[in-house]
Amino acid sequence: MKIKLKYIITTAAFIGIALLILLAKAISNSDLISSDSFRILLGLNIIFICSLIILIAVQIFRLLQSIKKEITGSRLTLRLVLSFALMGIVPVLIVYLVSVNFLTKSIESWFDVKVESALEGGLTLGQKTIDILMSDIELKGKSIAYSIGNAEPDQRNNILTDLRAKFGIQDAVIFDQDSLIIEVSSEKNNLIPPIPNIEDLERGGRDFFGRIEEANGEQIYLKAFTPIISKNVMSKKLILQLTQPIPASIANLALSVESVYSEYQQLTYSRNSLKIIYILTLTLVLLLALLSSVAASFVISRKFSSPLAMLADATKEISKGNYKKIISEQGKDEIGVLIRSFNSMTSQLEEATKNSEKDRERLELARIFLETILAHLSTGVIVIDEKKIIRLNNVSASKMLQNKESKMNGKLIKVILNNKIFEPLYEFINTYIVDNKKNKKEISQEFKLNKDNQERTIMLQITPLSDKKNKSYVLVIDDISEVTKAQRHSAWGEIARRLAHEIKNPLTPIQLSAERIQHKFSNKLSKEDSIILERSTNTIVNQVNALKIMVNEFAEYARPPKIQKDTIRIDSLIDEVIELYEIDKIIKIKKDKNIPIIYADQNKLRQVIINLIENSQDALKTIKKPKIKIIIKKKINEVELIVEDNGIGIPDEIIGRIFEPYVTSKKTGTGLGLAIVHKIIEEHNGKIKIERINNSGTRVIIKLKSGKK
Amino acid sequence: MHFFKKFSIILIVVSISLLIIDRFSYSEENEILIKDVVINDKENLKYINFNQEISLDHLITKAIKKGIPLVFKVTVKIVEIKDIWLTKTVLKKVGYYQIEYKALRKVYKIKDINGNKYEYRFIDEAIQKISKVEDLEFSFINKNKNKNYELWLNVSLERKKLPKPLQVNYFDRTWNVKSNKSINKL
Repeated sequence: MKIKLKYIITTAAFIGIALLILLAKAISNSDLISSDSFRILLGLNIIFICSLIILIAVQIFRLLQSIKKEITGSRLTLRLVLSFALMGIVPVLIVYLVSVNFLTKSIESWFDVKVESALEGGLTLGQKTIDILMSDIELKGKSIAYSIGNAEPDQRNNILTDLRAKFGIQDAVIFDQDSLIIEVSSEKNNLIPPIPNIEDLERGGRDFFGRIEEANGEQIYLKAFTPIISKNVMSKKLILQLTQPIPASIANLALSVESVYSEYQQLTYSRNSLKIIYILTLTLVLLLALLSSVAASFVISRKFSSPLAMLADATKEISKGNYKKIISEQGKDEIGVLIRSFNSMTSQLEEATKNSEKDRERLELARIFLETILAHLSTGVIVIDEKKIIRLNNVSASKMLQNKESKMNGKLIKVILNNKIFEPLYEFINTYIVDNKKNKKEISQEFKLNKDNQERTIMLQITPLSDKKNKSYVLVIDDISEVTKAQRHSAWGEIARRLAHEIKNPLTPIQLSAERIQHKFSNKLSKEDSIILERSTNTIVNQVNALKIMVNEFAEYARPPKIQKDTIRIDSLIDEVIELYEIDKIIKIKKDKNIPIIYADQNKLRQVIINLIENSQDALKTIKKPKIKIIIKKKINEVELIVEDNGIGIPDEIIGRIFEPYVTSKKTGTGLGLAIVHKIIEEHNGKIKIERINNSGTRVIIKLKSGKK
Repeated sequence: MHFFKKFSIILIVVSISLLIIDRFSYSEENEILIKDVVINDKENLKYINFNQEISLDHLITKAIKKGIPLVFKVTVKIVEIKDIWLTKTVLKKVGYYQIEYKALRKVYKIKDINGNKYEYRFIDEAIQKISKVEDLEFSFINKNKNKNYELWLNVSLERKKLPKPLQVNYFDRTWNVKSNKSINKL
């Protein structure tokens, strides 16, 4: 279980304060706590301080590790810790230094020289007083000893009693050298004096000897020993012991001075120890205060930095796109307000992002939709900007402009239209954009492009896009070749129909009239005139026949598309047609096996084959080694018919319009043969293509769908 | 692994702390030498007599002169010596003697281990007197002759009786006055 640092530090602070109070009490009141307890307290304080140091060291280590791992907020925590620690350390250090200085000086000031002199003077005074009293008792003792030494033994007691009373001495006892009591006199009755020790008696036997004794620490007695020199030399040596209490007033004062002096001396002697202990205690207080402030600075710093670190982390998350990051509430202060604002901002961002995502999805769908439409449009669409760089295009545009890559984005339109045949398109676009300073309206133009002898009609429409900042243009390219061709065919059909109608009707009367004129006037005219008439009427009849053929062809071209389809074998049909011609030697047929049947109008297809063979025959008239090759190929779901010759071929100028009426390279002929072929193939939903073979010869390729219906 | 790390840190702290406390508490200096230990039997009681060589440096003699009383603690232990296990204390007896200077009367007052008081004008005389410990009484009867008993004797200055500042100044080792441990067979 991980215990939070703030609880550890709070507990530690309480323990530290308790320990310091006990330590201070131990110093100030010696009775309260014993020296053993003080030692334990001191040890506990030191252990506690060591623990705090370890705790701080661990915290510093963790903080440094966090900085190394670049955990958000760790550097800020370090800065705050240093700031708070400095704020604590500097004043505490100043207080400590002042306190130590003050304490040292205070302790020194206790031991004033004057006080010591006064105390010594008082003690000396007491000693001198006692010495005076001792001198007094010495005189009295010697006087009593002299009197007793000169007296008879039976008079000793009276003399002793008289002199003791006279001198005001409390007790007077005479001992012999064996410590036997000889005489006793006392203010107190029934006194049984204590036996002095032998050393005192021996010393007192030699000379006066006095000493001061204490009783119960309250009274002081003077005890004096004086030898009694007897006039009888033979008698035993006697010693007089006098006991005299010092007056209570003097004794109390003297003892009081002694006691104070002793205490003062003890204090003087202990002052260094006192200094050490107080400084030690102060140092412990200092260390505890410093370490506690440093430890507390970790808690406070983390309290400050953790919400900011959370904010920083959350900001990182948001920058990564995680808008669901919510920071827990942190009180009601400014940081709390900041966090609430941040959470609100995050929610709004999330909402905005969701909306943006939805919009983006919608836009994406619209783009895909547009791309799909563009991709499936047969019309080419290109969007270019003002610098004529392509921003968008569809596949049809690429195909139309014969670009290998379907995507042309980023390329200059000039590069794409680099081909010579597209030059008019580029000129048109360039002119439009250069001149389009005043937002011109859309414009369109038709272009005829000729490539590989095939003419294509392109409609180019330019529409400016209205954008406030950037101008762009939409180029719509439409291949209207088939439309124009169909329009032309339709126009030709209408002309043919009118011609057939308007010309065919008078032809028969013309022919009949010419024949009637010849028949009626040939016999009536001279031979010469008759020859002229016959020649003229023949010319009219021939020309009318020629006109009839032409009108029939026009009628055929202009006829409504009525075909009667049936399942036919095209290879058999070709064989059947070729048999009609006597030129089968120059025709070579090459066909695949198992040519499938087709569903077509046999008569129409026969006409197609005849027209093609006749065209080839016409082209081969001047060729030395004429050849017609008919190839029938089996393809997937279709049959391919190729008719080629090594004739004079079709000039480049007309090959692109060869299927149009009246387009022919022959001197004779209506120019409707290939137009009719083209019309029949189209009516069968087939495809027809004509091309030159190298320098001479023509190849016609027809593709028809195979199968029934 | 983490636990062992923490445990080792705690162990180091405790060891350092104990060393510090130990440093404050004890001194290895021997300034009292116990010799001539004699144990006398009188009826059921035993009496210990011994001499000491007490060497006190000038700091202590100065302290005595300043009026600081010195109390010496005599500790007598009778222990049962066991071959394998630790010794067992059978009896413990503690006695005190002290020396004190009386400035008013300029005498060194001593109180011997039996409570007798003496006064001397000179410190050497006083120390001479306290060096002889006579008739420290204790009661011990060895009922089991198979057991091995020893009398351990040591003397030390009682620091607890010193003025408080000197008691708690553990840095000052002057007051760590201690005798050797005298071991005597019983």
